[in-house]
Amino acid sequence: MILLEGVTKVYEGGTVALRDIDLDVKKGEFLFVVGPSGSGKSTLISLLLRELRVTRGKIWVAGKDITKMPAWKIPHLRRSVGTVFQDYKLLPNRTVTENVGFALEVLGRPRAVVTRQVQQVLELVGLQTKGDRYPRQLSGGEQQRVSVARAFVNRPPILLADEPTGNLDPATSVGIMRVLDRVNRTGTTVVMATHDHAIVDAMRRRVVQLDRGRIIRDETRGTYESVSGRGDGDA
Amino acid sequence: MRRLTFLVREAVSSLRRNLLVVTAAVVSVFISLALVFGALVLSELVRENTARWQEGDHIIVFLNDVPDQTELSLQEEVQGWSEVASITYCDKACAYQEFKEMFADQPSLLNVDPSVLPASLRIKLHNIDTYKDVTYRLIGNPAIRRVVTASEQFDQLSAVTKALNWLALGLAIVLGVASIVLIANTIRMAIYARRDEISVMRLVGASNWFIRVPFLLEGMVQGLTGAFLAVVAVWIGQSYVTNHISPTFLIRLTVDRGFLVSWSLAILVFGALAGVVGSATGVRRFLKV
Repeated sequence: MILLEGVTKVYEGGTVALRDIDLDVKKGEFLFVVGPSGSGKSTLISLLLRELRVTRGKIWVAGKDITKMPAWKIPHLRRSVGTVFQDYKLLPNRTVTENVGFALEVLGRPRAVVTRQVQQVLELVGLQTKGDRYPRQLSGGEQQRVSVARAFVNRPPILLADEPTGNLDPATSVGIMRVLDRVNRTGTTVVMATHDHAIVDAMRRRVVQLDRGRIIRDETRGTYESVSGRGDGDA
Repeated sequence: MRRLTFLVREAVSSLRRNLLVVTAAVVSVFISLALVFGALVLSELVRENTARWQEGDHIIVFLNDVPDQTELSLQEEVQGWSEVASITYCDKACAYQEFKEMFADQPSLLNVDPSVLPASLRIKLHNIDTYKDVTYRLIGNPAIRRVVTASEQFDQLSAVTKALNWLALGLAIVLGVASIVLIANTIRMAIYARRDEISVMRLVGASNWFIRVPFLLEGMVQGLTGAFLAVVAVWIGQSYVTNHISPTFLIRLTVDRGFLVSWSLAILVFGALAGVVGSATGVRRFLKV
C-alpha cells in the first residue's frame, strides 16, 4: 500500500530530515511512527501527501509512484489518502455535517449520497447527534472525531494521522484511538505519527522508530520504547 | 452539473460570509471605475466642444478680378486637396451683402461700389492643424489677392484641445490601472482571510480549478457590482448636469447617448474582467502544491 525506497529529504539550507528510508506498509496495517520532535515524523507524512518532494529515492502510494506524479494528479492522490492533524483543520463557519460533507462535495457526489455517507461516518465516530453543531461548540476530542470522519468519509484506502492526540488529554485520546482502530478494521491502512507513549504501548501495533532521520527500530507488535532483549534496529 | 451548483453555492455563501471585505472591494471598484468613466465623459465633452469651436470657415481666399473660368478652375483644384472639407464661392454680390450686414449700423460706409469688393473662396478644413500647408500652397497664385486665416487662434485652440484630451485620457488610464490594483489587492485580502479553507480544500483532494472557480465567480460578481454602481452614478451625474445647469452658448454639457451606452457596457465588462483577473492572481499563490 505504501512503499519507500531509499528516501532522503534535505531541506533548503542543508537540514537533513530523512536519510535513506526504506519502508513497506501492507494493506490493512496499523503503523505507529514514533520518535522525538525533529526526528522526521512530520516530514514523512508530508512526503506521503506530496506536500513536499523527496530529494532522493522513490515513494509508492496506493500503487502509484508519487515522486514522478504531475502536479495536476496530486488532488487524486489526496483523495485516496485521508488525513488527520493535531490541530483538526476544521472550517469554523461550517457545521459538523458540512465539514464532513465538504470532502464529498469537492468530488461532486450527489447530494443524497453525501447525506447518507456523512450520516454513516458520523455514527462510526459517535457524533450522529451533533451534526448541526459548529466546531467551536464541540470539545477537542469531538472536533478531532469530526476530522477523522472527514478524512474517512470517502473511504480512502489509506489514512494518515499526524499527532492526532497531541492536543488531547489521555482519556479523550483513548476515544480517538478507538475510532482509528475501528477505521483500521474496515481494511484501511493507518499510519500514525505520535510521541504518545501510553497509546502506542496500549495498542501493541507495528512501531517504526525514527531518530535524526533514520529508522532505528521496526517491530510488528512494538512499544514506544525499545524493550531490552529485542534490541535496536532490527525488524 | 451537480458540481456547478455546489461551486455557485460556495461563491454566494462566501460573498455573504465575508460581507465586510466584499463591501470594501465593491466600493473600491465603484469609486475607481466611476472616476474612470467620469474622466472619459469629460474627455468626450472636451472633444465635442472643441470640435464645435472649430466650426466655420477656416481660410478665406480673396480673389483678384479674374475671369470666371479661372475662379472656377481654382475652386475645383482646391476642392481636390485632401485637407479640404468643403469650399464655397462668394462673388462680388455676396461680398456686398456680407459687407452690408457687417456694417449695418454705420450707414455712411454703405455707399461703397459693389464692384470694388473682392470675390472670395471660403475653405473649411478637416483638421485645422493643416491650415499652414494649405495657405502656403495658395499663396503665389496670380489669381489670389490675399489669403486670410485666424492663424494664431488656430494654434492656440489646437494646443488647448490636445492638452485637454491628453489630460482626460491620462486620468482615465491612471485610474483604470489603479482600479485593477485595488481590486486585486482587496480580493487577495479576502483570499488571505480564507487561506485555511483553501488548505482544507487541498487536503481533501479538491482540484485547483475546483478551488479557484468560486473565487473567480466571487471576484466577477464584485467587479460587476462595483462597475454597475459606477455606471449608474455617471448616468445620474450626467442627467443632473443636463437638467440643472443650463448650457451656455460656448459650452455644451451633454454627451451623446450612444457614447454613454457603449462606454457603460465597456465599463461593466472591464469591471467583471478586473474582478476575475484580480482574484486569479490573488488565489494563485495559495494553490502552489
